[in-house]
Amino acid sequence: MMGDAAIAVMAAGAVGQGGMPFGSPLLAAVNWQAAFFMLFAALACACAVAVVLADNVVRMAFYLVLSLGATAGLFFLAGADFIGAMQLMIYVGGTLVLLVFGVMLTAQAPFVAIKPSSGDKVLAGMVGAALLAVLLQAAFRVEAWRRPAAAAAEPVAAAPSATPLGMALLGIRVDEPPAGAVGTRGGYLLPFEIVSVHLLVVLVGAAYLARAKRRRTPRAIDAAASMVSPQERVGVAGGVPAAGGRR
Amino acid sequence: MSQAVLAGFVTAAAVPTFAAGFLSAPVGVAHYLVVGAVLFTAGVVCMVVKRNALGVLMGIELVLNGANVNFVAFSSPDLRGGGPPALGLDGQAIALFVILLAAAEAAVALAITLNFYNNHATVDVDRADELKG
Amino acid sequence: MEPASQLPTLLGLAWLAPLLSFVAILFFGPRMGHHGRNAAWVATAAIVVSLVLSLTALGTWLAAHPVVAVEHGGHASADAGHGDGHGAAGHGEGHAAGHAAGHDGHGAGRGPHAYAGDWYTLYQGGSLRLSIGWYIDALTVLMFVVVTFIATCIHVYASGYMHDELHDVTDHEVHLSSGGHLHRPGRFPRFFQALSLFCFSMLGIVIAGNLAMVFIFWELVGICSWFLIGFYYERKSASTAANKAFIVNRVGDFGMLIGLMALWGGLGTLHFADVAAAGGSRPGLFSLVRPAAAGHALQVPDGMVAFAAADEVARIAADRTLDPGGVDAEIAGRVVDWRSRGYGRWLLFIAGVGIFCGCVGKSAQFPLFVWLPDAMEGPTPVSALVHSATMVAAGVYLVGRFYPVLTPDVLLVIAVVGAITLFIAATIALVANDIKRVLAYSTVSQLGYMMLALGVGGWAAGLFHLVTHAFFKSLLFLCSGSVIHACHTNDMRKMGGLARVMPWTAGTMLVGCLAIIGAGVPFVVGLSGYYSKDAILAQALSFSRANPAWSVLFYAVAGGAFLTAFYMFRLWFMTFAGHPRDHHVADHAHESPRVMVAPLVVLSVLAVVAGWTLPGGFGLPNLLEQARPSGTEATAIGGFVFGQVTVPAEHESHEGAIHVIATLTAFCTAAAGVLLAAAMYLWRVVSPETVAAMFRPLYSFLAHRWWFDELYDAIFVQPVLGISRLASGVDRGVIDRIIDGVAWTARQLAGLDAWIDRTIVDGLVNATASATWTAGMEMKKLQTGRLRQYVMFIVIGTVALFVLASMLFRSAHAG
Repeated sequence: MMGDAAIAVMAAGAVGQGGMPFGSPLLAAVNWQAAFFMLFAALACACAVAVVLADNVVRMAFYLVLSLGATAGLFFLAGADFIGAMQLMIYVGGTLVLLVFGVMLTAQAPFVAIKPSSGDKVLAGMVGAALLAVLLQAAFRVEAWRRPAAAAAEPVAAAPSATPLGMALLGIRVDEPPAGAVGTRGGYLLPFEIVSVHLLVVLVGAAYLARAKRRRTPRAIDAAASMVSPQERVGVAGGVPAAGGRR
Repeated sequence: MSQAVLAGFVTAAAVPTFAAGFLSAPVGVAHYLVVGAVLFTAGVVCMVVKRNALGVLMGIELVLNGANVNFVAFSSPDLRGGGPPALGLDGQAIALFVILLAAAEAAVALAITLNFYNNHATVDVDRADELKG
Repeated sequence: MEPASQLPTLLGLAWLAPLLSFVAILFFGPRMGHHGRNAAWVATAAIVVSLVLSLTALGTWLAAHPVVAVEHGGHASADAGHGDGHGAAGHGEGHAAGHAAGHDGHGAGRGPHAYAGDWYTLYQGGSLRLSIGWYIDALTVLMFVVVTFIATCIHVYASGYMHDELHDVTDHEVHLSSGGHLHRPGRFPRFFQALSLFCFSMLGIVIAGNLAMVFIFWELVGICSWFLIGFYYERKSASTAANKAFIVNRVGDFGMLIGLMALWGGLGTLHFADVAAAGGSRPGLFSLVRPAAAGHALQVPDGMVAFAAADEVARIAADRTLDPGGVDAEIAGRVVDWRSRGYGRWLLFIAGVGIFCGCVGKSAQFPLFVWLPDAMEGPTPVSALVHSATMVAAGVYLVGRFYPVLTPDVLLVIAVVGAITLFIAATIALVANDIKRVLAYSTVSQLGYMMLALGVGGWAAGLFHLVTHAFFKSLLFLCSGSVIHACHTNDMRKMGGLARVMPWTAGTMLVGCLAIIGAGVPFVVGLSGYYSKDAILAQALSFSRANPAWSVLFYAVAGGAFLTAFYMFRLWFMTFAGHPRDHHVADHAHESPRVMVAPLVVLSVLAVVAGWTLPGGFGLPNLLEQARPSGTEATAIGGFVFGQVTVPAEHESHEGAIHVIATLTAFCTAAAGVLLAAAMYLWRVVSPETVAAMFRPLYSFLAHRWWFDELYDAIFVQPVLGISRLASGVDRGVIDRIIDGVAWTARQLAGLDAWIDRTIVDGLVNATASATWTAGMEMKKLQTGRLRQYVMFIVIGTVALFVLASMLFRSAHAG
């Protein structure tokens, strides 16, 4: 909604007094919502596929960042501005950074590009194709999903979604219930609190899990011995590859 | 690099197809669902194919994102053809929570991966077969 | 206290005292003193108690029934207040609380006084009543005194004779397979234990009030004899002799059982005297066979007549015109007629002969005498007590007790058997060289004498001889024991001239020998045997006069007297007179210790005086007359099996002519025998070896004991062994084969079952298990532990579920 509204504003502003956006009749003929959707969608899909196809884990991480960013754009277009913002902040800015850190920590030469066997790839491709086929088939089943209502051509006054979401998180629903909705329309206070505690627990747990070990474990030594030269064994136990640079 | 190029070609081939079909019509829920499906499938295939543990994590992120796209699509009032959206605010709330939990899960998963790396000096998930029956 | 209750108490206690001794020694024997030497004291004390009680009982009896001289035709006892007033006073249960249940037929005041009663009823079914009870008359009391007295002497003697058993014994007659002699611990207490049990059993026979009780103790005495003969059981000869004694006795007991069955079947009771029962007294055997109503004359009882005339009885019972009461009346009326036609007399004959069969076995009569000589394998005290004075006398005693029921036919059979026995045994004793064998055959011969006496009607004579024989025969055996103890050998051929070394033994044995031959001054005085032998000869003469066809019986008695005198003095001369034949033996010979000589002296005194009658009339013959059964004082004429037989009354033999001839015959035959023996063995005028050579076949025949053992072996033993071999062969070859075959089949089946179980059942189970295992192992391969594979499966599963769901819900909302 906001997307349409934004574009409508932009279009209106661009059109100005003559009704022509920057004076180009082409720009008026294009359904800008659809166009932006196509852009973001293509980017997201392409980058997702690139993640799959890439061998280098660092590149995978980069493509993932792009994909998630494009997804954020899709969210904006769908009118979930708050969600889009959160996507960028939490997902891209937090989670992916974390992921990148992890990649960096473990990106040693032997591990950077580990390739699966071709048979695996073929099998995975077939399975993925089957899944995709099922999902696509399901997507086009319902008639009501195909196109929006005609009234959608008009821009509607957009309201930011943060406030209703925030109120809902506090337990107060301020949005209009859809027609025919059944059941109580409660807030999300409880899930909110649970998630808060959950995050705390996760923090603690993750910190514990990834703590530095005091002594060397034989398995680490044996495993490393097969891949790493004896001189590099020293730094393995600490969790930080000390001689990561020696190749 | 070559994979990226390949990806670009695939998408370039796909775009006109979509463009021809969709540029002429407003975007509906189905389009979002298609994106979500692609993301989801890509994530699944990534989980299956990647031997690097971090690659698997990325796959998980993609899957969750695909689901989020679906939720947001169902919550949007613009995209639905007639009538109010199926989920409304609920969909956005769910998507929010998914993002939060994805973050938490990613943190834990990374911790596990680091632990695994500390113990085994490798992030190859194929080497983590001690639960073999 | 009246004798009716006192006598059963006294004699009951006297009877049980040895049992107490037996039980005490059985449980505590080895602990009685060092090696159990005090067991002899316990046993002797018990038997002395019995003797005292028996003497007290005798005194009680004599107080109530003073013995007076026998008047011919009269009766011996003066009633001392025991009139016909005693009725049935009910029988008592429990020890010594029995009251006299009835008196044996008082009749016309001439019956013997006897007390009968039951202590304890073992079984009562229908008319049969098995009980432990008593029948006490003068004979009972006398036998008690005799048995306990001799037993006392022998207990004392044995406590010295058996001293070898007080320490470990080396038995030189047992040869082990390793070559040496048997070395075993002593068995002193066991001897006295068996001796006590024997005394208990013997007294049980004497006091018994019914034939069932007699039979019980008959067998018990047989067992005790078996124990005692086989005392040195490690010796093959001793154990074989014990078995022989028991088995031969059992043969006789078979006949006894037939007799018992005949009595019970015909009469329904086994009691001697009347028994008190509800509704009056139930008559006993004596009352049934010699009813008072018939003057105590012997007749076939009604019960036996009816039993024998069973078909007639059935015919009457089937006659429907009569009611049950009428049936009984009709039968009762016809009984006299049936009796006169002879119904039932065979039954009575069989009853008598059957009981006598038991006596044949127990008293070693022909043909069951072969066990008694072998019984000498037992220790000498056993031979003295059991096989001369008491157990073998039980047969004679039973004949005497059962006398009223014996018909003249039966008596004739008894007499003939006795005569045969007498003769055979005497001839074998002529050539025997074992001192105890001679005495054993002498015992058999004397028992034949007694049987003969009883058979020819000399009831008192036979029992008189029983008592005197008990004294002098036990004396002779103890003397021989003394000799054997000194010489360590039984063979008379190694003895000789022992009179110098063993004066007491020689003297007492001489007394015994004189007693047995019946020595004495004719018509004046004599030793005990003189009087009893005299009585027998007289009655035999009287009988042969009454039945000329059977006069051989008298000649048998006379010839027996001659042979007896000969072999007894042969024994004495060979042992004590002349010069020692074996210096080894003579050097070791010595007089026996006092504990062994004292009983010899006591018994020799009795052997002398037992036959005397005191001026007041007290003496054995008159005492016995008190016990004479009613009806037997008269002459009996009857018999159908061998023709008519006349059994003369005994008092007739005391008449002058018969008495004189008998006495002279006795004296002459005895003198002749002694002279011949002296000629051959003392003065050596005639050489025994020459005589033996002259009559070589006869001598050999006699030396081999008439080949009786070999005959029995051939007739009975070998066939039985053959049958048993056959049976064992069948058992091994056929039955065992069948069993083995069955077992083999079972084993094969079991093997088959096992195979099925192992292969099929177990295989099935194992296959199931292994299939499960294999399935599990295969499915385990799913768990590769590889993450990517798991994800793949999840996806595939999800896709499949979607496809499935979409196919199932095809009609679901479209669009």
